[in-house]
Amino acid sequence: MAFLAMRGVDKRFGGVIALRDASLHAERGEVHGLLGANGSGKSTLNKILTGVVAPDRVDITIDGRPAAISGPHDAHGHGVAAVYQELSLIPDLSVTANLVLASEDARLGFLRRRADRERAAEVLGRFAAAFPGGNLPLDVPIGNLSPGEQQVVEIAKAVARRPNILVLDEATASLYSAQVEVVFEVVRELKAAGTLVIFPSHRLGEIFELCDRATVLRNGELAGEVTLADTSESELVELMVGSLARPAGRGHQVATQERAARLEVSGLATDRLRDIDLSVRAGEVVGLGGLAGQGQSELLNALFGSTRVRQGTMEVDGRPELPRHPKRAVTAGLALVPGDRTREGLLPVRPILENLTVPSLRRRSRFGVLSHEREREAARSAAEQLQIKYGSLDDGVMTLSGGNQQKVVVGKWLLTEPSVVLLDDPTKGIDVRAKQELYELITALTTDGVAVLLNSSDDDELLGLSHRILVFFEGRIVAELTGDGLTAERLVAAALQVASA
Amino acid sequence: MSPEQTPSTLQLVRDARSWLLRGRLPVATAVALLMVTLVANLLIAENFLTAFNIRSIFANVIPLAAVAVGQTVIVLGRGIDLSIGTIATLSSVVTVSLVEPLGLLPAMLVGLGSGAACGLVNGLLVAVVRLQPIVATFATSFVWSGLALYVLPPGTAAAPRMPDVVVQGYRNSILGVPNAAWLLLLIALSWLVLKRTALLRHVYAVGGDEQASYATGVRVVRVQIMTYVVGGTYAAFASFAMLANSGSADALAGGNLTLVSIAALVIGGTRLSGGAGGAGGTIIGGMVLQLLTSLLVALRPPTDIRQLIDGLLVIFALALAGLWSSRRGGR
Repeated sequence: MAFLAMRGVDKRFGGVIALRDASLHAERGEVHGLLGANGSGKSTLNKILTGVVAPDRVDITIDGRPAAISGPHDAHGHGVAAVYQELSLIPDLSVTANLVLASEDARLGFLRRRADRERAAEVLGRFAAAFPGGNLPLDVPIGNLSPGEQQVVEIAKAVARRPNILVLDEATASLYSAQVEVVFEVVRELKAAGTLVIFPSHRLGEIFELCDRATVLRNGELAGEVTLADTSESELVELMVGSLARPAGRGHQVATQERAARLEVSGLATDRLRDIDLSVRAGEVVGLGGLAGQGQSELLNALFGSTRVRQGTMEVDGRPELPRHPKRAVTAGLALVPGDRTREGLLPVRPILENLTVPSLRRRSRFGVLSHEREREAARSAAEQLQIKYGSLDDGVMTLSGGNQQKVVVGKWLLTEPSVVLLDDPTKGIDVRAKQELYELITALTTDGVAVLLNSSDDDELLGLSHRILVFFEGRIVAELTGDGLTAERLVAAALQVASA
Repeated sequence: MSPEQTPSTLQLVRDARSWLLRGRLPVATAVALLMVTLVANLLIAENFLTAFNIRSIFANVIPLAAVAVGQTVIVLGRGIDLSIGTIATLSSVVTVSLVEPLGLLPAMLVGLGSGAACGLVNGLLVAVVRLQPIVATFATSFVWSGLALYVLPPGTAAAPRMPDVVVQGYRNSILGVPNAAWLLLLIALSWLVLKRTALLRHVYAVGGDEQASYATGVRVVRVQIMTYVVGGTYAAFASFAMLANSGSADALAGGNLTLVSIAALVIGGTRLSGGAGGAGGTIIGGMVLQLLTSLLVALRPPTDIRQLIDGLLVIFALALAGLWSSRRGGR
């Protein structure tokens, strides 16, 4: 019996299945990799182990005993400590206070600060080489440290709990290579001392360097369990992608080649993006691929003027245009359908009618006065074109289903007659049917000669809709997939920076 | 391994910068405001330096300071208590009504318990029922003042009074220092003790980032409830000072302490969104507000515009404190 066994793990988020009968088996004194493409469910799986996400069904045994984990506090009780992708540090508290948070040495409720500080110094001392000059910033507020240093403290904080099972979720993402070495050294020490370290990562190089075995997930299910010494990179990628043949996307359509470019971007840079060059022709869908959060969303926001652009130029229909503000972007002919529709895309408490017509009011107003008739007419025709299922245009927009809400977000931009449509993960969390209708809508847009930039966390969707895919890695475009190159294998390999699969 | 032996210059600069930027600058602002109001009083108020005046300033600031320290604990945990003034009112009528039948100390204990109980109810509503703190505590403020009116209806013949020893003691001095000033010191000390508890560390953590605290294993709900209980307990202490100051209870007094307590902590540099600040600044902020009131009395404006000027002065002090501390970049 394995030291840690998670079996029959099911989890749904609304209509989306994140995990289906997934499992994980790992032993003490092992570094166990956890691999999977975007949306494979590995993040959900380790959040279930650490008690942050409540599963629909799970059977966990640790050291042969069943473990009921219904919150982070329970997980700590079972000797599980975790380092999350999103830091769990309190910026205003000192490094020491953060390291011992929730496990303070206290007598009768009073802190024993010296004991806490000694414990903090001891555990952070193992990572001393990760700090300039080896000086531990014990009394400095966490917020004053660099992102890499904060990440090291985050790891030290988990180690300070002396866990039996340590989960390092993408823990090396913001570290310099020297810091990575320090962390790996500590991980090897922990492994030698009998700790089980679970290491979900996208960096295949690190997986091979550090891990003994790995569990691979695909679409929320167990794809395989491998011993890394006997496995090649391309075998891993194949496990992640699966060998299913997929329908060819639009890469083969070349009809758009001769059409004029509607959007040209060159040398664009923001805080997180570097050297972005791209061009989208009329009627073309260009996909933005890669691992989640490599700058795809940031690019769309930068083009739309809601993220500050440091340098670079942009042309819409040949006119130089670098929006400083979303309003300018709308005037220039851009439209953005944001990923978080309730927060950025909709006016949640207002009726469907207003949600549809707000961005294009000026087109229909005379001397600042709106005509109810014209508003209603415009909204009705948009709703019809989009096949939005609604009771009355005066109903609140939140009475619609998720898919229909998203259509409202798209529809309000159609009324502005844009040249370029930016779609930021438009089908996240909506059902299959609404997805299909949105896909048809995108096709209709391209037929009208609109240029579309599409970011999606769903690789199949990206492959199915895009004429070309630009693959992002750490804020840069690292590959462009066209024609026969538009395959799931190529996409995952490019996203993971593997030579070829 | 003792890392603190050789701090690099860089480290020292870093520490000094963080000392100033994180926390101390707002307090420095409050101290500056205190100096300004003090000097203004010395210049304008003729009888400012008399023993009687100084004693009465301290006597009046104690209820405000105690309530404001309680409010600070709640705000640090990203909450707010709009009922805290009425908790003080309820606790004062409960205490004074029980002095006769039970004796002074038992009456005070029950008064303290009633303050803590009110805080517990607020805490449960906010942390367990998950009502918005502003709405929940605004609603309970009517419950507490309604209860106070029930316990001690206004105009009651032969209203219960505090023993004379208490009232006289409150206005006396020990070693030339007004007793009320000693009490202020006691409030400050209670904060220093509180600050050494694991509870308060967790309050700062929850106020700083609730999600991160939860993920780390901090009992967020329990911590939030406790902030309201501690706040209610401080309100009960404030009620004792109110009783000692006036000799009797008034079921309508205390309500305006709520807003003044929030003003005091804002001037004192506590962040309204939680996680940063402390009661040291709040106490100074309370002194600033008390000195503004004393200044207003000295200026003898026509009574009908007094409230207007009072309000404008508070806004002025808040704006000044806000502007100075927002200079540090960020927000």
